[in-house]
Amino acid sequence: MSNAVETDRVEHDPVRTNVIETREVCRYFGTEEMQVIALDHVSLTIEKGEFTAIIGPSGSGKTTLLHLIGGLDNPSSGTIELSGENIATMSGTQLADFRRDHIGFIFQAYNLIPVLSAEENIEYIMLLQGISADRRKKRVQEMLAMVGLEGMGARRPAQLSGGQQQRVAVARAMASHPDIILADEPTANLDTKTGISLLDVMRDLNEQHNMTFVFSTHDEKIMERATRLIHLRDGAVEKDERK
Amino acid sequence: MLTGLSMIGGYVLCAFSFSLQNGSYGNAIDIFTLDHTGHIQIHKENYLKRPKIHKTINNAEEIGRLLEVEADIVSFSARVFAPALAYGDAKTSPASIFGIDVEKEPQTSRITQKVQQGEYFSASMNADGFYSAMIGQGLANTLKMNVGDELVLISQGADGSIANDIYVVSAIVGNKTSHDRQGVYLPLAAAQEFLSLGNDVHEVVIVVDHRDDARGIARTLQDKMPDVTVSPWQVVEATFFKTMEADQEGNYFTMAIIIFIVFIGVLNTVLMSVLERTREFGVLRAIGSRPINIVQMVFLETMLLALISIGIGMVLSLPLILWFTEVGFLLAEPIDAGGVAFQHLRGEFSAFVFFAPMALILSFAAVVSIPPGLRAARVLPRDALGAH
Repeated sequence: MSNAVETDRVEHDPVRTNVIETREVCRYFGTEEMQVIALDHVSLTIEKGEFTAIIGPSGSGKTTLLHLIGGLDNPSSGTIELSGENIATMSGTQLADFRRDHIGFIFQAYNLIPVLSAEENIEYIMLLQGISADRRKKRVQEMLAMVGLEGMGARRPAQLSGGQQQRVAVARAMASHPDIILADEPTANLDTKTGISLLDVMRDLNEQHNMTFVFSTHDEKIMERATRLIHLRDGAVEKDERK
Repeated sequence: MLTGLSMIGGYVLCAFSFSLQNGSYGNAIDIFTLDHTGHIQIHKENYLKRPKIHKTINNAEEIGRLLEVEADIVSFSARVFAPALAYGDAKTSPASIFGIDVEKEPQTSRITQKVQQGEYFSASMNADGFYSAMIGQGLANTLKMNVGDELVLISQGADGSIANDIYVVSAIVGNKTSHDRQGVYLPLAAAQEFLSLGNDVHEVVIVVDHRDDARGIARTLQDKMPDVTVSPWQVVEATFFKTMEADQEGNYFTMAIIIFIVFIGVLNTVLMSVLERTREFGVLRAIGSRPINIVQMVFLETMLLALISIGIGMVLSLPLILWFTEVGFLLAEPIDAGGVAFQHLRGEFSAFVFFAPMALILSFAAVVSIPPGLRAARVLPRDALGAH
């Protein structure tokens, strides 16, 4: 694990193999009169090292589930445990620190900071962790090499292609050595070839570092490579299959 | 860009205004301190409030020795004062006697520059056994006197005796508006003799290196000379000083209002910027930034913009204020200061002029960065990322 600033950091039990556990999680939106059920009593467990794809039609609750798992949103009811910690009981600062140290995010729209270079985007999270400048620089170069972007660190997002931007996003997500990588439709904006290339990078990372990946996706390429498929429909788990 | 420009404009305006105000007051202070009050005055206790001929300092020489070793003192000079009745050929007029040290007075005031006719007098008697006197323009007009005429003075000595003597007018000083227009300047020894004061004086006037240090030096001197009263110019000219302070405070308040208005625009721009960057802040929150990190980021960005604007503002205002200080505005009508005419309105070139607006702008920048920072910190990653 990283050399994070220890203040408010929530440590997890390293012997646990269940890194994600949701119990009867519901998420409603809107008012009582006009309530939309986004997730309906979702219970599932994801073990360390799984390469899981959450699939389902649009509006089935994939992104909502991913956001709840990532602590970006709070469930209306139910509990979510990440690495043995109930994230619902965490304060805003604790949750921010937990995300910083244990979760990496990859977004469909890349969401890199436009005014920062690729290196700086990757480095930012380590800056938050209080890692020394020398170690940050070294790890940034490792991450860029890992995603095949050596020599492109000084470029800003606007100077990179979509595939390259998403590789930077993967490197950023990996930089803090998180337990879980949550990827929301990571290949949706990429052409087939670039998407496959990126998926191969992520699959390699999963296999080499036993890192847990959870995708929300429509992409068949992801489904083919996933070790587990969780089918959502109308906010509920319709099917959960391991390959 | 517009935010930066408004901050630059605010800084330049503020620096120029402070330079103008401090320069104007600096000129005014120099006018009266170098005309007659000096920067510090020493008197017998309570002399300033209720001047009496017998309230004298009887150890002027000892005080002189003490002042000579003070590093911050440029010059000092002793004086005596008394009212008198002045006679010319056929007229009389009330007059004020100023007994001054002929050698030292020109180093503490502009007395030599104020000589309009004749010559600055000497301390010794002339061949006929008369001391010289310099008279004010008003008195010269009233008594219809010219240089070389004889002047008769009648007054009361400190011992209660009747004082009267004849003096020869060596010069006419100042003009009809000078504070000494009814004055009669006598050599110190002549005035002491005339008023039966022995070696006593009423006042020791001091000029220091920097007028702003007067209060501190006066305090130091007071500690060393507890038997006399040491007053800086701020006490001697208390009415002027209080008026000046009130006016300065008013100007600072006006400047603060102008900067406040500038910063309402800045606040609006920073708020708009935060709104435009909602997604960015949402991403930063999602990847682990604490709310305080976001507040710090907005704060630092605003402060950086303020610092850059101040830097540019300094570069722009430096030559402007330097010119204003060295050359200044040519006045349509010269300002008369006790017979000395001032042609230019000049500014002040000091650390205060540059750093006070800097402090003002940085303070406002810090304050206006907080609401947008808090707003950015409250961004919910879920909403910012457009989940629903």
